[in-house]
Amino acid sequence: MIRIEAEPWAAMVAHARRTYPNECCGAMLGATDGEQKLVRVALPLENAFAGAQAARYELRPEDLRAADRAARERQMDLIGIYHSHPDCDAYFSPTDLRNSCPWYSFVVLSIQKGEFHHANSWLPNLDQTEAAREELVY
Amino acid sequence: MAKVLIPTPLRQYTGKQDHVQVTGTTVGEVLNTLATQYPDLRKQIFNDEGRLRSFVNVYLNDEDIRYLKKTETPAADGDTLSLVPSIAGGAGVAAPPAGSTLTKDEILRYSRHLIIPEVGMEGQQKLKAAKVLLVGAGGLGAPLGLYLTAAGIGRIGLVDFDVVDFTNLQRQVIHSTADVGRKKLDSAAEKMKAINPALEVVKYEVALSSENALDILKDYDLVVDGTDNFPTRYLVNDACVLLGKPNVYGSIFRFEGQATVFAYEGGPCYRCLYPEPPPPGLVPSCAEGGVLGILPGTIGLIQATEAVKLILGIGEPLVGRLLLYDALSMKFRELKLRKNPECPICGEHRTITKLIDYHQFCGVPQPGPGGAPATAQEAKLNEGEIDVIELKQKLDRGDNFVLIDVREPHEYQIANIPGSRLIPLGQFPQHVGELDPEADIVIHCKSGMRSARACGVLRQAGFKHVRNVVGGILAWSDKVDPSVPKY
Repeated sequence: MIRIEAEPWAAMVAHARRTYPNECCGAMLGATDGEQKLVRVALPLENAFAGAQAARYELRPEDLRAADRAARERQMDLIGIYHSHPDCDAYFSPTDLRNSCPWYSFVVLSIQKGEFHHANSWLPNLDQTEAAREELVY
Repeated sequence: MAKVLIPTPLRQYTGKQDHVQVTGTTVGEVLNTLATQYPDLRKQIFNDEGRLRSFVNVYLNDEDIRYLKKTETPAADGDTLSLVPSIAGGAGVAAPPAGSTLTKDEILRYSRHLIIPEVGMEGQQKLKAAKVLLVGAGGLGAPLGLYLTAAGIGRIGLVDFDVVDFTNLQRQVIHSTADVGRKKLDSAAEKMKAINPALEVVKYEVALSSENALDILKDYDLVVDGTDNFPTRYLVNDACVLLGKPNVYGSIFRFEGQATVFAYEGGPCYRCLYPEPPPPGLVPSCAEGGVLGILPGTIGLIQATEAVKLILGIGEPLVGRLLLYDALSMKFRELKLRKNPECPICGEHRTITKLIDYHQFCGVPQPGPGGAPATAQEAKLNEGEIDVIELKQKLDRGDNFVLIDVREPHEYQIANIPGSRLIPLGQFPQHVGELDPEADIVIHCKSGMRSARACGVLRQAGFKHVRNVVGGILAWSDKVDPSVPKY
């Protein structure tokens, strides 16, 4: 289960709405205890995808390293990645799956007509062929 | 002894340590030793073939090892290795539409799709919400337009500025005999609407150019390239890469065809395959070289299949693979295509960030307004040209000159200008020695492209009086002798 505290959750939704109609992306930091994860800080990152960003995002590895460093400095863990799907459900698309990493939770926020609609969290498998839904509490 | 930083989720495999000291002289050795020390970690970073998993980037201190010597990069004492996943994604073209539903009529119409689990209601809704741009309503565009319409694509954009011609009918099955003389856009749109009245067809009666391409392409999910010339292929490719849209590519010549998907999710683009265009005139067009009428059907439908798969997000897309089809041997082959890290538009250090002048890039001069020569170079070439009317007068006067036809023997059989000597372009250089450098020489082909090259060969060899017949035997049929058949 992944639980997102109110403050980071508000930051994630605000980020996704601000970026609409493009996709946003960012990192989630917090604490893990086995399968239990608690997100305490949301770190908005730049969508580095070079083309149209309405249906794509890309994280720079440097930004992800910086997020990992930020987590270490705060005695936190890098728990997962979030991104938005503008005018589209919060499913884990084939694009998401192929470019994912099984080490993290992937939270997808559905933003419809500029407003938050719903969200899901996904756990991709090692071979990036399937993603299981993870219980998400916010 | 290098220090390896362990990402949070992997610390469960390293006894909760956030970094580990590992021996090894190269990055590859360090990682292997690490995986040997912590066996549960191995499958997280290596695949079954022992290669680093595709999502794992390795940094040596602050450098990505892909730009060093990859796993052969030396690792010294005090170096720090970080494992950084590469992460991207997005709703992509495979997004299920928010709130688009099928009507009762549509459920009936698409029932054979709906009962396939891989398509189903959700897939059919994706097709309905999809916007596909077809560049060209000719040989490839014909089967594409018909089948994509029938499959239930919601919006199809058509880019074409040509008029239906008798020579099109042998393969462009979207047009019929009664359409000759009509705009291809009108003829194609009419057939498509007849198949599926719910289809939204958007007609662009323009030549795709650097000025309009981004504006036209931006509203579509994917682009299908059905063009027959190099400037437009590079233009479509570059625009797709810049906009992040997949480019479903196909090309045809005589009995052979090719198809692949370019610019898709980190896959290669057309420039990765062909960094430079061929010299102008080297690769003949269908009008010059001919094409088996059925061939564009085969290749166009492979493109249509890939387009539908991309929209549905099912199967293995034809990405990183160039499919080669030979109709004579009835064989399909596949070539692996790799993304070129040095590609000027999709590589790491891109130098092309906006659309360029593609006619200039491909060395194809464009006629200026009113048919005036576009460049000084072309104007110079024109000095060595002769009109078919003047050629007729020369023949009637009985002037002393040599008329050479550089087409192929089977073309000569279809139609020829009496008194001409046949030397196919491919054999032309061997026959130069038989010609008199001082003679008055006139060369023709079908439309003037091949003969222009033959003229160039002779001029380079020092021939003084060489002229190219403008418009070739097609112009001869139009202006001099209508009994000569056009082909």
